[in-house]
Amino acid sequence: MVGIVDVVLPIVSLVTFALLTLPVFRVIRKTQHKTALTLIWFSTAFLVSGAAVANLASQYYSLAAPPSPLPFLNITLTGTPLADFSSAFMIDGISIYMAIMFVAVSAVVLIYSIFYVDSSKRPSERYFAIMLILTAALMGAVFSGDLLTLFIFWEAAAAGSSFLMIYKKDPVSLNSTLKYLVMIIIASAFIVFGLSIVYSLTGSLNFWAVREALMVLADKNLLLIAFIFIVTGYAIEAAIVPFHFWLPDAYTAAPSSSAAFLSALVDQGSYYVLIRVLLFILTPPSVLNWTLMLAVMAALTMIVGNMFALIQDNVKRLIANICVADVGYNLVGITSVTALGLTGNLYFFLMGGITTALSFMAIGLISRHGFRTFDDFAGLGRKMPFVSLALVIAGLSFAGVPPFGGFMAKYLVFTAAIQANLSWLAVIGVLTSVLQVAYLLRLVNYMYAKNPKDDHVIKEPKRLLIPIFILVAAIIILGLYPQIVFNLIEPITKQLQFIPQFTP
Amino acid sequence: MYALLLVFVLPALGVPFVYMAGKKSPRAAAILVALIALANMALLFTTVPTILNSPNHEYVEPYDWIPILESEFTLFADGISVSLAIITSALIIVAALFSINYMKEKKNLPVYYSLLMLLSIGLVGVFITSNLLLFYFCWELMLVPAYFIIGGWGYREPYRAAFKFFIFTHAGAVFVLLGIGAIFMVTGTTDMFDAQAALMSVSPDLVRWILLALTAGFAVKMAVVPVHMWLPDAHSEAPSPMSALLSGVIISAGAYAILRLSLGTVFPAVAGTTFGIDFLHGLTIFGVISAFFGSLIALVETDIKRLIAYSSIAHMGYVMFGLSLFPSAPIVGTVAITAAITGTVLHLLSHAVSKGLFFLSAGAIMHQTEIRDIREMGGLAGKMPFTAVASTTAALSIAGTPPFACFISEFLIFVGAFEVINADGFFLLPTALMLVVTVLSLAYSLRYLSHVFLGQPKSEGEKKKIVDVPNYMKVAMAILVILVIVLGIYPTFFVHLINTVQFI
Repeated sequence: MVGIVDVVLPIVSLVTFALLTLPVFRVIRKTQHKTALTLIWFSTAFLVSGAAVANLASQYYSLAAPPSPLPFLNITLTGTPLADFSSAFMIDGISIYMAIMFVAVSAVVLIYSIFYVDSSKRPSERYFAIMLILTAALMGAVFSGDLLTLFIFWEAAAAGSSFLMIYKKDPVSLNSTLKYLVMIIIASAFIVFGLSIVYSLTGSLNFWAVREALMVLADKNLLLIAFIFIVTGYAIEAAIVPFHFWLPDAYTAAPSSSAAFLSALVDQGSYYVLIRVLLFILTPPSVLNWTLMLAVMAALTMIVGNMFALIQDNVKRLIANICVADVGYNLVGITSVTALGLTGNLYFFLMGGITTALSFMAIGLISRHGFRTFDDFAGLGRKMPFVSLALVIAGLSFAGVPPFGGFMAKYLVFTAAIQANLSWLAVIGVLTSVLQVAYLLRLVNYMYAKNPKDDHVIKEPKRLLIPIFILVAAIIILGLYPQIVFNLIEPITKQLQFIPQFTP
Repeated sequence: MYALLLVFVLPALGVPFVYMAGKKSPRAAAILVALIALANMALLFTTVPTILNSPNHEYVEPYDWIPILESEFTLFADGISVSLAIITSALIIVAALFSINYMKEKKNLPVYYSLLMLLSIGLVGVFITSNLLLFYFCWELMLVPAYFIIGGWGYREPYRAAFKFFIFTHAGAVFVLLGIGAIFMVTGTTDMFDAQAALMSVSPDLVRWILLALTAGFAVKMAVVPVHMWLPDAHSEAPSPMSALLSGVIISAGAYAILRLSLGTVFPAVAGTTFGIDFLHGLTIFGVISAFFGSLIALVETDIKRLIAYSSIAHMGYVMFGLSLFPSAPIVGTVAITAAITGTVLHLLSHAVSKGLFFLSAGAIMHQTEIRDIREMGGLAGKMPFTAVASTTAALSIAGTPPFACFISEFLIFVGAFEVINADGFFLLPTALMLVVTVLSLAYSLRYLSHVFLGQPKSEGEKKKIVDVPNYMKVAMAILVILVIVLGIYPTFFVHLINTVQFI
């Protein structure tokens, strides 16, 4: 039986490690082996939280014999499920999947950050502690079982991200972080307003209580208003066009390790919230027909994101714009409301996250030498061969060229769109993918075809390359044999039969 | 047992070894590539007895891959695919051997040979799978290494040509992907033979779009007018061994895909309808236009490699014409392959070896004289007798002169055409026009030969001492000369293999 302790253990362990990081670093700084001890400290943190997640996963999976689908598991503090107003957790296949993904990706990004943000300097321990706390908050968001808990954890993650953005403390990042915070606050205002309407309609915020109350709701006008408020709020946080403009600024101004963390974890968290709220709770299509609206938003996001990426001269900004486009591709999967689309989404979370993290990490290494624009990147393939190779692979994966992971992700969401009779969305999707190939190849052209300004080869630090190439290996292996991930996703799609009107 | 799996695994495992060998001596790397390709060829030959003797005339090796997408790693060979795969392996051997001398002065050769090895997986793999998704993986695997080979080691502005190549064929490929996704959606399978049966009961409106999307995508790779624009640039700027593979294999893969997927899998569902007949007539028109366009430009082109590149467009016109002679009535039971289709497949084989030889001999001339303009050449027959013999063989074969390879295949296509004319008078005019093209191809071949090898030296550059090519180049060209003559005199082995294929 899964108890409340099993659920909160991953979250609590991460927070504990985060809080202990500050005193521990005082000790570490006084010793000889700073780097080694730092690595050991954070490896322990991730091993402990990883073990806690693994424990939860095994407990959860042992609940169901293979042919019968896994349950949606409600766990509350008070012990009374479906209580009107009690903070509750809910575990299902998606929660487990996202939690595993968060721990794994966060570990790789944190190892990179240790070397990227010089861990021997003073405020860096706070930076790492915040990364741990954000991971914990995201995990809380995926475990939460009512809209309020979800809101609290998710806002903690979203607002907390601003600490990562502001780390450099220069005017540009201050400016863009302020912009980000304002957007987040506006978004939470929208969400809270929407949630209050939902509460007034249904008398509960628990996922399943809300769902059941909505299914029998007679008058849907108020629900429509609530829906618009909630979707607008979450759309701002997920950077869906036309609410996307904070993202390129924020990611470009943030240090690269922060950008990698934000794109690989916080971004994916925001898609998770969209899926959970839209697909599972608020509005199965029979309650409200929102497909067309979201499809248009998805198309706009793909087009606008890629168009803006096309005209960028700053490479980091280009990748940040691809993050916007990726939101669009994810939305295609969400919009199609099919099992295949959900599979595609969940796979996209992992691959898209890894790919953006990889490119930000590579760019971080490159920009240390002052290379930022396309012109700076000229001849980089000869100056920094390994990191250039990693960047090219990330680019091809973005563009959906097999055998890299991004291909399978796009194939799944586009096929799902065709299945849901949204072929036009799939066509826009593949055409914008061709656009992606065009501007990414332009980058490759600069890196390999142009002559560098000077000829000296730059030594690439090995310890930064290791986390980069862990992600490269993940992209290739999971691209060639995606079944490893699908094995985790398959039970999730089996659960979908509990959701009415879901195309199996 | 594992013959076809090894065809994938050997080159994949070989890549790092090729790289390491290349660090020591590029020649060792080239020979390693050739040996692995030779081993592959032997493995492909081991499947021939099964194909000839088994009741279905096919050889299948299924492995598990992605069950959730109904995708198996199905390796499959029948008469057509194994013939093309064998000739492809032969061309890879030849290209590797030819590169030893040809690429000697270039830099980064270990990378070049590793890319060549990687490319060979896609080149062979695309012919020996019946799974659509795996097919697409190989289809794109042909693209990425080829892009880097053309860009990294080509002439003039190689990355521009490579960019054009990548964008054009990738844009084609995404339409193929849409088609594959749609097939998976409506039939629930990604095996091309299962899909063929399942598509028969799908609404013809949808099948129509799938057919058009697939054919348009493949036609780009095949470089049929009006989507040929990438070919002259890519083929002429690529290093000559790569040009031989581009013209010999990559565009043939486009034709093979049209035969196998568009016509073999999707077309039967609309055969016999007005649309089906119009579709075939459309192919004929594009074929004739390509043949005329390519031949006429080849007649006036002065750049040695662009001339040959345009002749490739002309010959793909022949192939398209041959494909359009596919039986247009619904096929009941199993029907033996028609003369036209046998001729078309045989033409793919003979064109591959002849055009490969043509490009290699042109490369040899460029390498020795450092001239590209055929007006500046002349009298080379005396100085480079071996190359002259090879060039003459290739040019006469391309012109369709007996006893060289292309004569038999063109003859078979025309025999098939006359059979079809009896049933469908539409083909009378196209057949007559294609006969005119045969004359044109003789004209440009002779023009090429007389400009390059006969007469007096014309330019200053040519006055210097020019000697015939080094030994490895001679070996490479000799292999192809022998193949061109053998295929011309005794095509029975391949004809026999091709004729075992049946349409279901």
